[in-house]
Amino acid sequence: MTATRTITFTLNGAPVSADVKPHHNLVELLQTHFGLTGARETCGQGLCGCCTVIVNGRSVSGCLYLASFVDGADVRTVEALDGAGKLSPVQEAFIEASAFQCGYCTPGFILMVTQLLDEHPDPDEEQIKHYLTGNLCRCATYPEVMDAVKLAARKRKAAASA
Amino acid sequence: MIPFELAEPTSLAAAVKLLDPDDETVRPIAGGTALMLMMKAGVFRPQKLVSLRKIEAKYSGIAASGDGLRIGAMTTLNAVERSADVKKHAPVVTRTMRTLSNVRVRNVATVGGALAHGDPHMDLPPVLMALGATLTIVGPKGERKLPLEELFTGYYETVLDKNELISEVHVPSQGAKKGAYMKVTTGSADDWPALGVAVVLDADGGAIKSARVVGSAATTKATRLKAAETVLNGKTVDDKLLKAAGDAAIEESEFIADVRGSMPYKRELMRVYVGRAVRAAMQGTGA
Repeated sequence: MTATRTITFTLNGAPVSADVKPHHNLVELLQTHFGLTGARETCGQGLCGCCTVIVNGRSVSGCLYLASFVDGADVRTVEALDGAGKLSPVQEAFIEASAFQCGYCTPGFILMVTQLLDEHPDPDEEQIKHYLTGNLCRCATYPEVMDAVKLAARKRKAAASA
Repeated sequence: MIPFELAEPTSLAAAVKLLDPDDETVRPIAGGTALMLMMKAGVFRPQKLVSLRKIEAKYSGIAASGDGLRIGAMTTLNAVERSADVKKHAPVVTRTMRTLSNVRVRNVATVGGALAHGDPHMDLPPVLMALGATLTIVGPKGERKLPLEELFTGYYETVLDKNELISEVHVPSQGAKKGAYMKVTTGSADDWPALGVAVVLDADGGAIKSARVVGSAATTKATRLKAAETVLNGKTVDDKLLKAAGDAAIEESEFIADVRGSMPYKRELMRVYVGRAVRAAMQGTGA
């Protein structure tokens, strides 16, 4: 009764297809079909940000997003950021600012900060806090994350003008 | 999650036909953020979901005219947050959006879903209700209009038949009216609220000509607080008046206790926050 369907979409720039069940979510799709574990289901309620995936240019909580809904969509995960063999400015900034301890929440933070800087290249503290209110770090590296966002903004600006 | 079937009709009319008025296990799904939570928790076990994501594009857009805004039910909360038309015609909605859940949920959740779900903890329904919004509802027999304040009948309960869908929300222009939405979250900043209070005031200086006050989250459903409005109407704002409005509000509210607060706590929040929301509206602050 719950027929498997074949969906096709773009994953990190490459055309792909997968057989999915209607009740599978986007995180399950990425992990079981493509071995991508950057997005991980954690709170399961869209509150923590660990399952962040970019669908058609917008961040979504992969745990609350049916896999079927990405049929025909452009999907990007954290694994795409160093696709050219080089870390992105946001990834570099998180390392330089030590903006993580265990690293579990880091892929979600990295993607959300990348989105944030696309929208607000030079964000103030209030904008950063507003944008990241849905990302939780149980190691509480929030002060370092704030530093990393500002550092990433400077790196991106420098790269753009270079 | 337990398995279910997924239908993806390409028109609103086809979606209505796929719904069954007598079968609670067949349900429409829009953004799905709220429904996914219920399915994961096992409190909702559908046989079939009817996705509205592929219906006509005209149901996901915002149009402004002389008398206000028409917001398609499939419009995402993010689109509402960013809309210049919404900011112009209903700035209290724009301010509310920033405090509503988080970026990722707003990117996916829809206006129609936020209303049809009937969850008293949602932030948008009380604000739209205070603005006097009306709904267009489509069913097998055609269209009907309904004032939003008549939508909710109880905790997660609405007047919608199982084969009716909200297609559009009409929001009258706020114009010179002052509005505010205040909420209290007892967990994290973006957690579900323990209380929401929305007020829209037609005011002249410190004098209130007429007020619309709506309470939510602390109550079984988003509820217009008419006794509090009566206290406020035609009066000049001072501490005594706001205390009287808060007292009236708690007398007419049906409170619910949950993990975000006990009944006595929520009563006290309501008593205080009705006045604070009126003050915030008068001062043009408050999300």
